[in-house]
Amino acid sequence: MSRLAQSAFVPAVRREARPAGSDSPDEICPVCKSSRYLNPNLRFLVNPECYHKMCASCVDRIFSHGPAQCPIAGCTRTLRKPRFREQTFEDLKVEREVDIRRKVAAVFNRREDEFEDTRAYNDYLNDVEDITFNLINGIDLEDTERKFADYERAHADEIKENAELESQEQSSYRVLQKKEREQIRLRREAARREEEEDKRLVEENRREQLRRLAAGQDASVVEKDGQQVQLKRRMDRRAAEERQRQLHARDAPPTPVTNGATPFIKGLKQRKGKEAEPPVDAFDGIRYKHQYYSLQDDYTYSFLDNAKKDARILAGGYNVHEYNERALADAFAGLGVFIADEVTERAKLSHDIEVPTEMAATEAQDVKMEDPV
Amino acid sequence: MKFFIEDLPILFPYPRIYPEQYAYMCDLKRTLDAGGHCVLEMPSGTGKTVSLLSLIVAYQQHYPEHRKLIYCSRTMSEIEKALAELKALMKYRADQLGEVEEFRGLGLTSRKNLCLHPSVKREKSGSVVDSRCRSLTAGFVKEKKERGEDVDLCIYHDNLDLLEPHNLIPAGVWTLDGMLRYGEEQKQCPYFTARRMMPFCNVIIYSYHYLLDPKIAERVSRELSKDCIVVFDEAHNIDNVCIESLSIDLTEDSLRKAARGAANLEREITQLKETDADKLQNEYAKLVEGLREADEARDEGAFMSNPALPDDLLKEAVPGNIRRAEHFTAFLKRFIEYLKTRMKVLHVISETPPSFLQHLKELTFIERKPLRFCAERLTSLVRTLELTNIEDYQPLQEVATFATLAATYDTGFLLILEPFESETATVPNPVLHFTCLDAAIAIKPVFDRFSSVIITSGTISPLEMYPKMLGFTTVVQESYSMTLARRSFLPMIVTRGSDQGTISSGFQTRNDPSNVRNYGALLVEFSKLTPDGIVVFFPSYLYMESIISMWQGMGILDQVWKSKLILVETPDSQETSLALETYRTACSNGRGAILLCVARGKVSEGIDFDHHYGRTVLCIGVPFQYTESRILKARLEFLRETYRIRENDFLSFDAMRHCAQCLGRVLRGKDDYGIMVMADRRFAKKKTQLPKWISSALMEADANMSVDQAVATAKRFLKTMSKPFPIRMQEGISTWSYGDLMQHQEKLGAERDREMRMAGAYEEGYEGVHGDQVMQEAQHAEDMIDDDMDDAMLGMDV
Ligand code: SF4
Ligand SMILES: [Zn+2]
Ligand SMILES: [Zn+2]
Repeated sequence: MSRLAQSAFVPAVRREARPAGSDSPDEICPVCKSSRYLNPNLRFLVNPECYHKMCASCVDRIFSHGPAQCPIAGCTRTLRKPRFREQTFEDLKVEREVDIRRKVAAVFNRREDEFEDTRAYNDYLNDVEDITFNLINGIDLEDTERKFADYERAHADEIKENAELESQEQSSYRVLQKKEREQIRLRREAARREEEEDKRLVEENRREQLRRLAAGQDASVVEKDGQQVQLKRRMDRRAAEERQRQLHARDAPPTPVTNGATPFIKGLKQRKGKEAEPPVDAFDGIRYKHQYYSLQDDYTYSFLDNAKKDARILAGGYNVHEYNERALADAFAGLGVFIADEVTERAKLSHDIEVPTEMAATEAQDVKMEDPV
Repeated sequence: MKFFIEDLPILFPYPRIYPEQYAYMCDLKRTLDAGGHCVLEMPSGTGKTVSLLSLIVAYQQHYPEHRKLIYCSRTMSEIEKALAELKALMKYRADQLGEVEEFRGLGLTSRKNLCLHPSVKREKSGSVVDSRCRSLTAGFVKEKKERGEDVDLCIYHDNLDLLEPHNLIPAGVWTLDGMLRYGEEQKQCPYFTARRMMPFCNVIIYSYHYLLDPKIAERVSRELSKDCIVVFDEAHNIDNVCIESLSIDLTEDSLRKAARGAANLEREITQLKETDADKLQNEYAKLVEGLREADEARDEGAFMSNPALPDDLLKEAVPGNIRRAEHFTAFLKRFIEYLKTRMKVLHVISETPPSFLQHLKELTFIERKPLRFCAERLTSLVRTLELTNIEDYQPLQEVATFATLAATYDTGFLLILEPFESETATVPNPVLHFTCLDAAIAIKPVFDRFSSVIITSGTISPLEMYPKMLGFTTVVQESYSMTLARRSFLPMIVTRGSDQGTISSGFQTRNDPSNVRNYGALLVEFSKLTPDGIVVFFPSYLYMESIISMWQGMGILDQVWKSKLILVETPDSQETSLALETYRTACSNGRGAILLCVARGKVSEGIDFDHHYGRTVLCIGVPFQYTESRILKARLEFLRETYRIRENDFLSFDAMRHCAQCLGRVLRGKDDYGIMVMADRRFAKKKTQLPKWISSALMEADANMSVDQAVATAKRFLKTMSKPFPIRMQEGISTWSYGDLMQHQEKLGAERDREMRMAGAYEEGYEGVHGDQVMQEAQHAEDMIDDDMDDAMLGMDV
């Protein structure tokens, strides 16, 4: 049973196709006047230099010996044979347009993800389209071409980079597609196998029943047994398949092609709002934490009372709190160092450094001073 | 009759009610209360529409939310029938309540059916009417008139503006006919009256397309609120409607026309640039800002709207490279040229949208994103250019829709290019099918938007298939059997001829002379014994033709001719309607007739053969689809991959739903009677797939008969039918009076009480019951696997 899509997916436009622009049977070569009516194999070629159509034999005849002038009256272009080709599109204007677009697309290849908002991207697209349109329709040709060249020169690096990105994406997309097609094929085959299996089972069962009937067993019993056997077998298999399927579902990566995440629409550049600038940190993240004591807001200590109130001292920026802090830090400076521990530690570096210090910390909790005075 | 379902008072416009109607209403109410979707199968001819309407109207009037009802049906005549029922119901309600309720019910169909303009209404094609109407009513035409230019306007449309916008037509129920008459009297356009009054209606009755075809739905049904109750009646084919509404076929001719359309647009643009460049500039500015749609939300006559674009995309601005009008036309031209080159390929291609887009991009540098906006952009352009002859742009519109869909959906669609019409053709006549494979896409917005969607039909078995295919979940899913006081219809499965040879329309045996002769004998016998009309269904035109010519050679038709006139359905609808007319005359005057038709044709869907118009229906062969069709194959594959519906299951399901439709044609009510014969050995295994009301009437003994047995049974059946059967014998069984209903409710109540009390006791036995059920289901699955399904797969019907 032949199923869908044997030839699927490979868009082979040129192969096995009617030539473009071959709709009228009495088309005539403007050069030698031979017509398709007389010669059904007549092939027409065009040269992207001037897009004048002529038959293949004329091309052979005129351009085999090197470049020559286009034989169409009024056309002064010099044409070379290798550049002749069959037209893809019926409309030669579109053929030319696409050639120009190819050129433009090779240069203006900025990607949507380079832009931060849709408006900018759309404006860019609009500008590119303007340039293309001018090139195609010959509006302000000189000016546009100059712009074009300027842009190309100015952005040479980016262009190359984007082109590379593009081709990478293309190839990875192809691989992906191939994989998917393969998977579809496999699934299709599995379904077919399943079907065949079903049929085979039914057939087998029937034969078995016949055999037993022939051996003279009771018909109703045989039938019932047969049904039971079949049922059981099928249910077993179903269950097994279901398990298999679930396994697969778990293994399989999330379906790669989903709307929006395709290689066609990439969306704008991920905009990260600028991170707020962090305060300058002279010590690069190292913080002094007091582990063995907690700093109180205020200490009653007559020696400092004066300093707390005296405008002369305060005006200079003297801060009693800081004084307290420093004093306490000095007092406890050596307490966290256990030389013995450090020695063992150096011996087995694999151990976590945090553990001993933390233990020390809990021990030290007891010595926490409520009131240092 | 007035009764209560729980707290809800219901006025039912008949003195008696069928038990299944009552059950149907109860389930409907349950669905509405729960606020979910449901699938209900109600036997044909048991007053489905009236039960539905009386329940929902009662619901609307009783509860303070006043949820609006949107009732979708398939054809004009069904819409009209439903409107008439509604009108009768409202009249009954008014009589009973002693006051006329503030209530509006309107129907909507196309302009073609509702137009009153003396010259426009004479146009034959719907799209021409639409376009001419637009040229007489569009906003810019009106502006021109105000500026004093000499343009024609439609007076019927203008008059509407003189009325209060929320009261264009007095309250009440208006049939389409009534609307037309009122419109003629008041000189106001019925079409726009209905359209504009939609927000103020309690009940709207229109065709499926106004909800399912995204191109229309967006425009017509956008403003309906979320709590509307949506009903799809006769919904057994709803998946196909969904699929068709999103599928597009392009031919070389339509592409040529589209190209011409694009060229015309270009010309119009250059013209407009010379005369009124500001307009284009305005449009451009709007597109830059992404402000489109803001001011056109209420444009009734818009050219087309966007097919199923996700909402977030709709809010985005149009891509920069198609912003300028001339850029866009060049873009369209390029796209059309590309499609033309694709058409030149001489072998069949089927590809997915992503692969199509990839190739498109390689060849023409058309990106996906602008393609997505194609339809949108075209609408905007047409509006800006103020074009009036829009029917010329229809092919272009199709191309644009195609572009948008292809660029929007990666899965669920497939492009299939068929260069030749048939296998043997040598001259290419390519068709590019862009087919939708997933019925759920079109209907998804409906399920997303409305809280209660009711899908109902006379034949919608197996019920689970629909939620699966359409991607929704149900709160109620029910199939009702038909309560009958006597057995008034006789379903039979004939598997063998009188010579004991099996009969089948399967691929290998369909043209065997013995097979054909057995079918012939069946026909001859039934034509002798059946009074009045017989309807015969074949799986396809091709098979019908071949079998008829063989019968001719065997002299079978001559024998049939003695007792009945023979008429044949053809693909031509006019010929068919003539044949139908003759058929009806022959049935009425006692000559009797046979109508030979096709299970997927017009006759099988829309035409009723009630009473003497159809006493026997013969289904010759299982009406499988033509499986060699590439589109069908693609759909089967999709169903398998996505919804895990096996190909055979789907084909079999599809064949049986059509078969059930055919069988249902002859029984249109409880006082009707008829014989239903399924003649194919393969039916024997498919009887579980018939709707419950048919399969429950199918006796085990009648499920595997030979022709002579069937004839004997049919004769016996007809004899019992010929005995007079007084109506009162049906009472209490197949029809309930008020008293019967009360009794039933009491009984139910008592039962429920008992159940509550027994609940504890049940719990223990439950496991066992469940196990049995599983076994049963497995058995059922077993039955479905046909060893002769290969017949179906081998390309049954051409
Ligand atoms: S407005 Fe109404 S009556 Fe006038 S042309 Fe349109 S559909 Fe016809
Ligand atoms: Zn030549
Ligand atoms: Zn030249």
